Amino acid sequence: MTRIRVLPILAHVLAIIAVAPLLWILISALKPAEDVFNFGWPSTWTLDNLQYVLLKIPMPRFMLNSAIVSVTVTVIALFFHSMAAYALARLRFPGRGIIFSGIMSTLLVSLPVILVPLFLVAKQLGLLDSYAGLIVPSIFHAFGIFLLRQYYLNIPRELEEAADLDGCGYWRRYWSVILPLSRPVLASLSVLFFLANWNAFLWPLTITRNPDLRVIQLGVSGMQGQYASAWNLILAAAVIAAIPTVVVFVAGQRRLVDAMKTTGLK
Amino acid sequence: MAATPFPARQLSRRSVLRGGLGAFAATAAGVPLLSACGGNESGGNAKEMSFWNFYGPSDDQGPQSKWFVDTVAEWNKNNDVKVKLRYIPGKDYLNGTTLQTAFQSGQGPDIFLISPGDFLRYYNGGVLQDLGSALPDESKKDYLPGLLEARSVDGKVYGLPMEIEPLAMYYSEAAFESAGLSEADLPKTWDQTIAVAQKLTNSKRYGVMFETLPGYYQNFTWYPFMWQGDGNAIKDGKSAFDSPAAVQALKFWGDTIKNKVAPRKALGDGGGDVVSNLGSGAAAMQQSGIWAVADMRTKAKTFKYGIIPLPTPAGGSAATDLGGWAFVANSKGKNPEAAAKFIAWALGSTDAAGVERQRQWNTEVKTNLPPRKSVQQAADAKGAFADGALKKFVSEIAPTGKPEPRFPPEVYQPIADAIQACQLNAADPAKAAADAAEKIDTFLKTYQGAPIS
Amino acid sequence: MVTTTAAPSKPLVKASGKPRAGMTRKRREALAAYAFLAPDTIGLLTFVAIPMVLAFGVAFFKVDGFGNYQYVGLANYKLMAGDDQLWASLRVTAIYVVTFVPIAFVVSFALAMLVRNHFKGIGWVRSAFFLPNVVSLVVVGLIWQFLLVDKRGALSKILAPFGLGDVSFLGTPSLALGTYVVISVWFLMGYQMLVFLAGLKDVPKELEDAAQIDGAGSWQRFRYVIWPLLRPTSFFVVVNSTIGAVTGLQAFDLVFVLTKGGPARATSTVVLYIYEQAFTFNNMGYAAALTTVVVAILVICTGLMFGVTRGGRFDED
Repeated sequence: MTRIRVLPILAHVLAIIAVAPLLWILISALKPAEDVFNFGWPSTWTLDNLQYVLLKIPMPRFMLNSAIVSVTVTVIALFFHSMAAYALARLRFPGRGIIFSGIMSTLLVSLPVILVPLFLVAKQLGLLDSYAGLIVPSIFHAFGIFLLRQYYLNIPRELEEAADLDGCGYWRRYWSVILPLSRPVLASLSVLFFLANWNAFLWPLTITRNPDLRVIQLGVSGMQGQYASAWNLILAAAVIAAIPTVVVFVAGQRRLVDAMKTTGLK
Repeated sequence: MAATPFPARQLSRRSVLRGGLGAFAATAAGVPLLSACGGNESGGNAKEMSFWNFYGPSDDQGPQSKWFVDTVAEWNKNNDVKVKLRYIPGKDYLNGTTLQTAFQSGQGPDIFLISPGDFLRYYNGGVLQDLGSALPDESKKDYLPGLLEARSVDGKVYGLPMEIEPLAMYYSEAAFESAGLSEADLPKTWDQTIAVAQKLTNSKRYGVMFETLPGYYQNFTWYPFMWQGDGNAIKDGKSAFDSPAAVQALKFWGDTIKNKVAPRKALGDGGGDVVSNLGSGAAAMQQSGIWAVADMRTKAKTFKYGIIPLPTPAGGSAATDLGGWAFVANSKGKNPEAAAKFIAWALGSTDAAGVERQRQWNTEVKTNLPPRKSVQQAADAKGAFADGALKKFVSEIAPTGKPEPRFPPEVYQPIADAIQACQLNAADPAKAAADAAEKIDTFLKTYQGAPIS
Repeated sequence: MVTTTAAPSKPLVKASGKPRAGMTRKRREALAAYAFLAPDTIGLLTFVAIPMVLAFGVAFFKVDGFGNYQYVGLANYKLMAGDDQLWASLRVTAIYVVTFVPIAFVVSFALAMLVRNHFKGIGWVRSAFFLPNVVSLVVVGLIWQFLLVDKRGALSKILAPFGLGDVSFLGTPSLALGTYVVISVWFLMGYQMLVFLAGLKDVPKELEDAAQIDGAGSWQRFRYVIWPLLRPTSFFVVVNSTIGAVTGLQAFDLVFVLTKGGPARATSTVVLYIYEQAFTFNNMGYAAALTTVVVAILVICTGLMFGVTRGGRFDED
């Protein structure tokens, strides 16, 4: 019995340690400039830092850009990935093994490694300095295909066969049987995708020049360049950049565990 | 495909296929794109030129940003070929991929800023435009000796400096007072620097600070200490880095860390950022450049500080490094001729408005030494260098300066590694210098670009 | 079955859905599959495969960064042997991988076991562990720079009573890599914990209960019931974190934001070195050649893990 008591307490303590750095940043962002390195509870609280960052710097604009990009990428990517995953999991066709290995092998490639050639391709397609340039290359990633395929492998075949008896085509099966069944996993993946795109830095930095297209991570990173000495403002910007991700995560976290479970990550 | 971020529901398979295949075809067609990039737009006469910089228009819309915006607006008012500013935050400009990626794919800006350290890389890449035809003789003659030469090859000028930035040692009056020290204790030698720094160091503060982050800037701030012992990295086309002067300079920086009187990591933007370090009380002395006078003026107005020449080794002579960024034009840009004209106009005009524009930049919105005689006179007439730190920079420090050397990356990197290893990893300075010298020599044997100074 | 409004939007698949003269079911199924796969396949080809092929092709050229190319055969590969910075950075990456991957594995597995069964406040605890992963690496970099500021940062204040107030975690070569491992673990543990939780939920409770009734201790239950069932999950975690540690976000973004490879190259990972070659030195060709080597190493490593664990399950139905 005692062990059962001890473990939850340990869990709570560890959890506090894990979030302590984040909480400390939040508290520091609410301190006046001169107190920012004072190790202790702030003597006075202030919203000036947040206010300054929101009003004097086009933070709202950066956030809007990030929201447009993240939401669009998430929606299109989930749609494409679920189609591909459906084919890979449920349909028989020549070359399936090769195509699947090919898709999986792209997981070995990371952005820093192909940055310049990718930029050349984007240039050739006329994607430079546009929302399309921020969005289109970010859609394609094998990870989502892999997870969805695992999920679809576990859907009982009978469900689909019922549709088959009705004479449904493959599109119809996908659209009216598979897609509704994937709602939970799509929901959890949408959290992951949104986070990944909201947090993207290197690609937006490379492809956008127009200041009106700057995404939030570029905005925060730029803050550091311009306000190097003003930790209070930099931290305020960091907090603002992090808030939407925390909200999305808290709203979607229950689904995250459940869906990962059903994805049968194994 | 490019312009089809429509909702997934309406996504038509055919359009996706078409778009996708189109994309594919375009890429396939672009395979010679590897060899084709660069020159495809060269020599054009487009009506708009991009100007990439790290000043404006910035979010804080400070005076330096305003100077850039106003200058460009003034030009655009009177010229058909317009200039469009693109602001890139300093960190991303200096250490990021933006500029390089753009050039690698033939999408470089038409006008941009470079430091002496980057000059040869861009010159040897063949992207710098000769500004000679746009630059009248009287304006060439107006520049102080050596400045244009540092940005020239075979007598052709490829960049116009916007400023001269000497380095000095800043000190905090409050820190000296609190440690019971006076102006008489200000260090003149390296040994004194470490001794005084020891007295200034406490649980919240380091006695002295040098740049710690690896990069061109760190090398730039370190060279003077090598020069003070009459050393150099390259002499007569061969490496001279394996010299007592370089070894003792490497040792000096290492000693400040070993004695725990200097930080291993600077605050804010690093060694160039006096406000974050000296100004915040984290360092009592800090090596930095003349630009910090303006920074302190705007961001730490009440902070009391002074400057002294960089301390020298026993038997050494005073030396400092003269930095300074330059405007350059992309010879493969959309309209190189007009870009050259813009640069010559913005920085080199000898009429009253041109001199005033330069005076504003060098003494009002930023603090530098003006690179041109006429601008210096105009600034003197307004008493810009009559007192305080700036006076000392002009009268005492700048005369001991040498222009920042234009080393290509292959020379810069071995030196940077030696500095880092000796400063932060307690490496043996003699061995580090010898290793670096060997690497530089290996490189110089096959180097075919423009002369390294 | 197909409604008229939807018809124009999916002609290919519709065609495959209706029996057509001369089309076997097999053929229709294959056609449908290709149509379903087309968007992602074309996208991955365009935005991953082609850039990769271009990068590999460039490995045989000397590239100056301004669009000038010169064929040099294998010269870029020959340079590698004598490049001691490369070997130093490979060493950094190797040390990073062999410390980060096991530590992250153990920590996240332990956390998963800790939050596996319900207790009061479990929701908040799970969220707390995952929260660092939600924040971008740009922000993570800022946070730790702020916390680890020499002498005045929060950590120095905490350690000051122990006489460690002037330790510079990011400025001391012998500590920087370790600091970066700790930050990476902090960043990634919540994500891996979730993956383990997902795997753990597949362990049938009955099996465990049965084992308990049979008198199996907790270690035995772990060893003979939980662990065998978790092997596939573990495989995924190890492969995923290894790739991440060699070329992924932590290997690049985090180092780039925190230390730029310093102090004295102590955190110069191999991806960062490739990046430097490409962007500081303008040696795109050499950088590309290095890339091919790193990818080859990764392929061999994952292949080995695949072979040893037989946990991949990638190719079965």
